[in-house]
Amino acid sequence: MTGKERILAKLRGEATDSLPLMPITMMFAADLAGVRYIDYARDHRVLADAQVAVADYFGFDHVSAISDPAREASDLGAAVEWFDNQPPAIVESRALLDEKSKLAGLRLPDLAAPGRMRDRIEAVRLLAERTGATRVVEGWVEGPCAMGADLRGLNTLMLDFFDDGPFVEALFDFTVRMEVEFARAQVEAGATLIGVGDAAASLIGPKLYTQHVLTSEQRLIAAIHALGVPVRLHICGNTKRIVEGMGLTGAEIIDLDFPTPLGHARRAMRETQVLLGNIDPVRALRDGTPESVEAALAECFEQAGAAYICGAGCEVPRGTPYANLEAMARFARSRR
Amino acid sequence: MPDLDKLHQAVIEGDWKAAAAATQAAIAAGVAPLTIVTGCLVPAMDEVGRLFECEEYFVPEMLLSARAMKASMAIVRPLLAAAGTEPVGRVVIGTVKGDLHDIGKNLVASMLEGGGFEVIDLGADVAPERFIEAATTRNANLVALSALLTVTMPSMKTTVDAFQSAGLREKVKIMVGGAPVTQQYADAIGADGYSESAGGAVALARRLAVV
Ligand code: B12
Repeated sequence: MTGKERILAKLRGEATDSLPLMPITMMFAADLAGVRYIDYARDHRVLADAQVAVADYFGFDHVSAISDPAREASDLGAAVEWFDNQPPAIVESRALLDEKSKLAGLRLPDLAAPGRMRDRIEAVRLLAERTGATRVVEGWVEGPCAMGADLRGLNTLMLDFFDDGPFVEALFDFTVRMEVEFARAQVEAGATLIGVGDAAASLIGPKLYTQHVLTSEQRLIAAIHALGVPVRLHICGNTKRIVEGMGLTGAEIIDLDFPTPLGHARRAMRETQVLLGNIDPVRALRDGTPESVEAALAECFEQAGAAYICGAGCEVPRGTPYANLEAMARFARSRR
Repeated sequence: MPDLDKLHQAVIEGDWKAAAAATQAAIAAGVAPLTIVTGCLVPAMDEVGRLFECEEYFVPEMLLSARAMKASMAIVRPLLAAAGTEPVGRVVIGTVKGDLHDIGKNLVASMLEGGGFEVIDLGADVAPERFIEAATTRNANLVALSALLTVTMPSMKTTVDAFQSAGLREKVKIMVGGAPVTQQYADAIGADGYSESAGGAVALARRLAVV
């Protein structure tokens, strides 16, 4: 089976020759390719080269256009701080929507114009050309809560939930409309799957999650399905208390970070829901040994059951020994 | 003291308007400003920290309570100063250079303030020199460093080393925290203390402040 066949078969609930392997690599991929992260995040050609290189080296079943959460915010005009060899970050103290009234004036970015969103679309196109026949090409968009936080400032959004529910609704509505268009352009460029990253959602409890975030995630995911591709929902951090809701989003892949044991997620979701993850990226993957990596993955597989894809809880950290990632690949290839 | 019960409740429920009103009422009724802090805000924030640790409260609820506590402190602080009341300690806090994660740092800062400390919050992405300058000019006895990225944890060491080179290491105690930080790491870089939670940070700061 090719990586693409393996992943898509798993998502259909069919038998596969081995476990699909889809760890997130960003800084690790840039380091492997010997490029600075600022170039990786700014130039789709650099990103595509590095993604193909890392996938070839370790035998990943997918490549991804994920790089940092600031692409959409940049194109909307938010202040972004750049680092030479680290992902760019949105400057929260100068949040684009420091005044709520500015939301009404916000326009969807022009995806045909040069910009950071365009650059990701081009990365997808290049990846699809180079490796799309045999690998899943993963596009990436921000989830409503993460994108809302990117625009409003995370600290402020947390208080908005209580102070002004209707504003939060309007903000999430804007983010969903924008991300659907971003996903559409990436699918048209050749993405076979869209990843949705909604990290900020791990900071809120089940009540606010169900009230404000879940319905927006459902709308976004349904709209991506209408484009004809499956979705990987990634919420990093501790999601134990919202994982039941995550199972209702409709995402084909629920990608969990290490604080949420897969057994816990399995009990909260249907048997056929594909789970992805979730060894501790730093303590288990980077600081472990090939033996301990395999043991930790065996535990994940055991808890998740058959509907399982191999990966770490979040991005493979910079500095992870190659032998440890090779152990992950070996594990995936030796199980089915 | 019915007014303090109301204030306690307002902080826990995160109602800043009610907290400000209850504080005014307590002062009008003759409650001593220091009693408001030690008898009410400190235990209320302790309770908020406990609710957070047992996952009943999450980040939004905690920030809401912190805002209510601050609304009360804004009224009480000038009165304490006028009466010449010394804080339990003076803490300079910030997220280290290169790191923009500030939620955990903000919670720790609020808990420390609620715990009776004077808090000088330098924000995120703070260079060692800025920690040193603030600690010197504000005469702080504690410095609290937060980091959420493994790539910025070395900035903690750089900051501790900078205090050493500046000859200030004997004058201030340095505490560190943030998700990837461990006691082992704190020991390795020569920090004086580590805690994994905001509640624990207050207990730690109290311990370090008296030594
Ligand atoms: C929110 C968030 C962001 C927001 C931050 C906004 C903000 N205003 O803070 C944004 C979107 C900007 C962001 C950006 C990035 N992030 Co981020 N982010 C998170 C997330 C989801 C939550 C962090 C958080 O607020 N936790 C809640 C608080 C309450 O917990 P805490 O900080 O640990 O604090 C508690 C204790 O640690 C302690 N404590 C904290 N500080 C101190 C200090 C002292 C002195 C003491 C005693 C105690 C103490 O008390 C607190 C309360 O109990 C985490 C994932 C997660 N859930 O952990 C990733 C995470 C921290 N981010 C990560 C990464 C990689 C990044 C980026 C590099 C992403 C990218 N690829 O673009 C950028 C880097 C930007 C930069 N230069 O800083 C990784 C870090 C991996 C690692 N170990 O290195 C994480 C763990 C995600 C992951 N699983 O990979 N992120």
